[in-house]
Amino acid sequence: MICFLPVSFRDVRQWIILLAFMVLVNCNASVKHKTPNCTMVKAYSQEHTYKHPWERVTSASWRKFADPENKRTLSHILEVDTLNHNLDSKSGKLYTTRAITIHAPGPWFLRKIVGQDICHCVESTVVDAQTRSMQLATKNISLQKYVEVEERIRYDPHPENPNEWTICRQETSIRIKPLSTLASMAEKIEQKCVEKFQQNSAKGREVMERMCKYLEAESSSRGISGRL
Amino acid sequence: MGFIRDKRNSSSSTTTSPCADLRAAYHNCFNRWYSEKFLKGHWDKEECVAEWDKYRDCLSKHLEDKNLSRFLEAEGVKRIPAPISK
Repeated sequence: MICFLPVSFRDVRQWIILLAFMVLVNCNASVKHKTPNCTMVKAYSQEHTYKHPWERVTSASWRKFADPENKRTLSHILEVDTLNHNLDSKSGKLYTTRAITIHAPGPWFLRKIVGQDICHCVESTVVDAQTRSMQLATKNISLQKYVEVEERIRYDPHPENPNEWTICRQETSIRIKPLSTLASMAEKIEQKCVEKFQQNSAKGREVMERMCKYLEAESSSRGISGRL
Repeated sequence: MGFIRDKRNSSSSTTTSPCADLRAAYHNCFNRWYSEKFLKGHWDKEECVAEWDKYRDCLSKHLEDKNLSRFLEAEGVKRIPAPISK
């Protein structure tokens, strides 16, 4: 009987859904577990080398959610809206804020319990065209009273081959709001979420690689010189 | 049990879909500008202004989530959390 579930149990349900589907989509699937769970803050870092130049990879990053073909792979991403942007025309820095709406599917009974199946996240990006760096930070703004997930990504030219390769570094931190009764349960659930995290990360990498190939083909067919 | 009886429409349609065409127009323009101008050092001039204005007007009408609309209003916001160290 759902009405007799303790509140904390509902919180855990929300947390499962958020964690499993909020985790966005980049880099590769090798998750390194960085910090112990004792503080209820989890952090994961990942690294991936794209064998494409920085310019192409960052172009792909902007486009990856919008491309119809990618939409099938990233079916949990519903909407991406640009909320704000600011170009610093002196320094060549571009600041952008986007809203990402994520569909959190799952068993129908989970949706009933949680009462919502979408989650809003805000992504802040800065691209520095002079130093060739792109940094993204994505945070959930839904369900914040239960959990905060922050994903930070940066794309830089690969030190070993800066004109041809790009290194992507990603850090994801998950902060569970102090609800101590949840701790032991949360620990178990988290193991399951890691699996989902890895699946979504692998999907994100697949999409980025496909976008890069597409941009590469497009630029060579147009005969444009340069890196795109 | 309330599970099935309470089968309200948990439709995933979102609040900004009415702006889909304007959004596509802006994002297409932006992507072209990003690749062909910004990355090539021509960042002195902002482009896609007309597309942006139309799209933003639409968003401000249809964005229902208050947490999101406050980002819309914070014009020219420059925010990026602590970067990942290189």
